[in-house]
Amino acid sequence: MIRNYFKIAWRNIRANKLFTVLNIAGLAIGICVCIILFSFVNTELSFDKMYSNSDDIYRVNMETSEEYNFETWATMPNAVGPALEQDIPQIKRMARLIKDDFGATASLKIGDKNFTENNLYLADSSVFKMFDFEFLQGNVETAFSKPKSVVLSQTTKKRLFGNQEAMGQLITVNNHDTLEVSGIYADLPKISVMDFNMVYNIMDSWMGTNVYWSNASYETFVQLEPNANIPEIENQASALIDKYVDKEDQYFTKFLLQPLTKIHLYSAEVREGYSTKLGSITTIKSLLFLSLLVLFIACINYMNLATANSRKRAKSIGMNKVLGASRRHMLSLFYVETGIMVFLSIVIGYAISFLILPLFRSITGNELGYQDLLAAPILIGLLIIWILVTLIAGSYPAISMSSISPLILVNKSKTKGAASELVRKGLVVFQFAASIVLIIAVTVILQQMSFIKNKNLGYDPSGIVAVSVSSAETGQQIQSLIKSLERQVAVESVSAVQSMPGANESGRAVLKLATDNTGMPIASCRTDGNIVQTLKLNVLAGTELPETITEGDSIIYTLINEKILNYLGYQTPDEAIGKIIHTELGPRALITGVVENFNFNSLKEDIGGYMYYKSRRAPEGIRTLLVRYNSQNLSQFMEQLQSTFNEALPNTAFDYQFLDRHVAQLYASEERTARTATIFSALAIFIACLGLFGLAAFTAEQRRKEIGVRKVLGATVTGITQLLSKDFLKLVLVAFVIAAPVAYWLMHKWLLDFAYRTEITWWVFVFAGLAALLIALLTVSFQAIKAAVANPVKSLRTE
Amino acid sequence: MIKITDLEKYYATEEVRTIALNKLSFNVKEGEFVAIMGPSGCGKSTLLNILGLLDDPDGGSFIFNDIEVSGFNERKRAELRKHNIGFVFQSFNLIDELTVFENVELPLIYTGVKAAERKERVEAVLEKMQIMHRRKHFPQQLSGGQQQRVAVARAVVNNPKLILADEPTGNLDSSNGNEVMALLTELNEAGTTIIMVTHSEHDAKYSHRIIRMLDGQKVTENILMEAP
Ligand SMILES: Nc1ncnc2c1ncn2[C@@H]1O[C@H](COP(=O)(O)OP(=O)(O)OP(=O)(O)O)[C@@H](O)[C@H]1O
Ligand SMILES: [Mg+2]
Repeated sequence: MIRNYFKIAWRNIRANKLFTVLNIAGLAIGICVCIILFSFVNTELSFDKMYSNSDDIYRVNMETSEEYNFETWATMPNAVGPALEQDIPQIKRMARLIKDDFGATASLKIGDKNFTENNLYLADSSVFKMFDFEFLQGNVETAFSKPKSVVLSQTTKKRLFGNQEAMGQLITVNNHDTLEVSGIYADLPKISVMDFNMVYNIMDSWMGTNVYWSNASYETFVQLEPNANIPEIENQASALIDKYVDKEDQYFTKFLLQPLTKIHLYSAEVREGYSTKLGSITTIKSLLFLSLLVLFIACINYMNLATANSRKRAKSIGMNKVLGASRRHMLSLFYVETGIMVFLSIVIGYAISFLILPLFRSITGNELGYQDLLAAPILIGLLIIWILVTLIAGSYPAISMSSISPLILVNKSKTKGAASELVRKGLVVFQFAASIVLIIAVTVILQQMSFIKNKNLGYDPSGIVAVSVSSAETGQQIQSLIKSLERQVAVESVSAVQSMPGANESGRAVLKLATDNTGMPIASCRTDGNIVQTLKLNVLAGTELPETITEGDSIIYTLINEKILNYLGYQTPDEAIGKIIHTELGPRALITGVVENFNFNSLKEDIGGYMYYKSRRAPEGIRTLLVRYNSQNLSQFMEQLQSTFNEALPNTAFDYQFLDRHVAQLYASEERTARTATIFSALAIFIACLGLFGLAAFTAEQRRKEIGVRKVLGATVTGITQLLSKDFLKLVLVAFVIAAPVAYWLMHKWLLDFAYRTEITWWVFVFAGLAALLIALLTVSFQAIKAAVANPVKSLRTE
Repeated sequence: MIKITDLEKYYATEEVRTIALNKLSFNVKEGEFVAIMGPSGCGKSTLLNILGLLDDPDGGSFIFNDIEVSGFNERKRAELRKHNIGFVFQSFNLIDELTVFENVELPLIYTGVKAAERKERVEAVLEKMQIMHRRKHFPQQLSGGQQQRVAVARAVVNNPKLILADEPTGNLDSSNGNEVMALLTELNEAGTTIIMVTHSEHDAKYSHRIIRMLDGQKVTENILMEAP
């Protein structure tokens, strides 16, 4: 019996070539998208599961007090780890880690070569055991047995030393610490948030030995005893705050344990973590949703084409029934047929996914490999897709067709044409509504992106390169670098700063009165001047910060933005000039100038208070030079810049960033969303069009005789094309009416993420509607014209 | 074998109600060959569909092999049908996607006959219908007469007690038509009951008895020869 089903099903599949090709194409694309996304999701979900202690490792997060808006931070004082380990028996071991220089790029010097390194960590030696470090040279015990030791990952070793022996070699970090290589470890797994390239002993630094409960800069991991009671430990840990910290200094109130395996995907709300390898569960959910949507649209094609085709097959179904086939027999036949079709689509879709994987990688910047496509969960996923798609896509045709009465043979059965026609139309409307929503979404996203790019930020980030000087050996070196840069023709101006806008400013508070307890939180940034000229800030009153400050002048000169001005309650900018400003910097701070608000942060956030200051005794150091250049030949300029840098700072690696790219980086995730949405909407509409094409072909064939008669009676080609296309275009219009409000609501919500956003204009809807209409028209009219120009004599004779 | 009494069937469309069968009564004995004749639209096909358990009457009684079957649901009718009744249609109704062999095999599959036995029985029938050499062909590759022979083969492969034929020669020329009539006669002589609808007086002469209908009612009955 089964064999018989296969035989008949296979013949049916082959007999309807056009439908088969359209169905398989749509399903294969849908399945291919699903396979790639499933692999992506699969790797994302496997993060950090490979360590032998994975299930017992937690990151300690802390919840801040009201003053800091109850945020959750991944970093905390370095006293937390040791206290937890000592006071809570269920904690087996703990490891604190901190990136060198709080995450700034480190400058390494080996012999006379300079390197930069972004993932240099200071950590407790317990990390080695906690995270299964596998030493290729040296071992866990000896790694940190000598002071000032550093261990390298294998890849980092290759990068720094090539094939030379690295053990025992000296590496100078940021021109202050010299470390000796004491071990090489196999690279940590790619699918881990642990991204150490180099680790040195935190206990060699004041950061490890000098424990305090104030500055929160340390990530703390704990390994618990098996089957530990998490809420109990969290309570015990939080109780330590009262034990060790004075009430008025408690700016954090609670410790929470975050499982290691959840860090990668569930850290969107956790601030200040060091790992660069974070994903997002919302991204995963939306990608899954979109890929299933595309697959469902492909399923709809199958349902529609199969039921459209059912009239052609009604006779054979009726005859089977006359001959004794039950409804079950017919159901099985259709499911077998669908199953074969879906199976073929899976094979093809799977093959395509291997072909387009490189494309996917380049679009998303993802590192998915071929072996990820072969992972067991993917193969199981394919099996599930096979069964599900067969059941879903096969359901409607199977049910509607298997209920065909044998009386169809004698033309005595009322065909359920009307009902199935309605369902079919509904499904087409759904496909196009989904496509139109996606088109509108893409348009709005792109509009917002261009709005962001073209928004006047209040300063000009283009034409500025930020050069890191945080590892300079002396202040003189920086001064001489500035001098020689200023001499160059291509350099318009140079400003020495603590941080480029929105990167590493210090959080401070501005007070209205010196006696106030609370004020407005602001970002403060030390500069040595020239900042107005370099960033092209708009001065509303006062002047740029003074060029020089004479010796013995203890005044702190400040440049504030309007936000601070308004907070302080001045009526006009001029009024503020020369007035004292109360900050934690010191009592003698004067307002030298007021600048227009500028978007130092992402446009997702409102502008906050910002203050540049200059002083002879600044608590912060100069870490970056902002160099505004004007050069036709960028690469030549950069070469020149580097050689100037190397001359001035011979022992420091040249590390730079273009300010406009840094700004663009703030919207990287939106950029990705835009690309993803574009791809998905293109796929959705393409698959929907495959279906429409098939339906149009079906209608044209069904109405062949009618068209023939009409032509004989004098209808024109245009008239007939119109006749055939009209019905489909009506469906697209209905889809549009449904899609427009849904899209409006969705995109309105999406835009709410941005403090600065475009309007959703009516023309976006007109554009999306017309685009869908045009695409549908092109698809349908091909078939319509083909039918219309056919020789009527032929179609009439063959009837 | 068949006993219908006051059989009624209506078709209700939006505007009109058609009475297709109007209190029709007659009996058919086992082994009989009955022809049904009448003008177009008098309800012949409707009657045949009910006799063939494809359709349900709206009134009256239909006793098939001593069982009252009016009011049976589709499942029960299908079960009874597949073991007892074979059909031959004017338009053959072969399944285009299946070969001659497979078309004839189909009823056996649905009655659950094993593959080896199916092969044997199909080949035997094809042999008898003299289309064995065509068994691998698809229906479109055959002439009308050949197609109708395949249809007859398919109707008899399950050894049904009753064969219903709706204008079996309607689409055939006279020589092919005669061949099909000869086949039916042969089957009847072997014991199968046959009820045939026809417009042809010539074909009707092959039967034992002619029932003439008008407007859903029996008008006359001619007995041509005594049924065995
Ligand atoms: N599905 C239906 N809906 C409405 N009326 C129907 C239906 N089927 C048959 N009829 C009507 O029932 C009556 C009997 O039809 P039937 O097909 O049985 O006639 P017939 O004797 O077989 O005619 P012919 O010799 O032309 O085949 C006719 O008036 C026909 O119009
Ligand atoms: Mg008829």
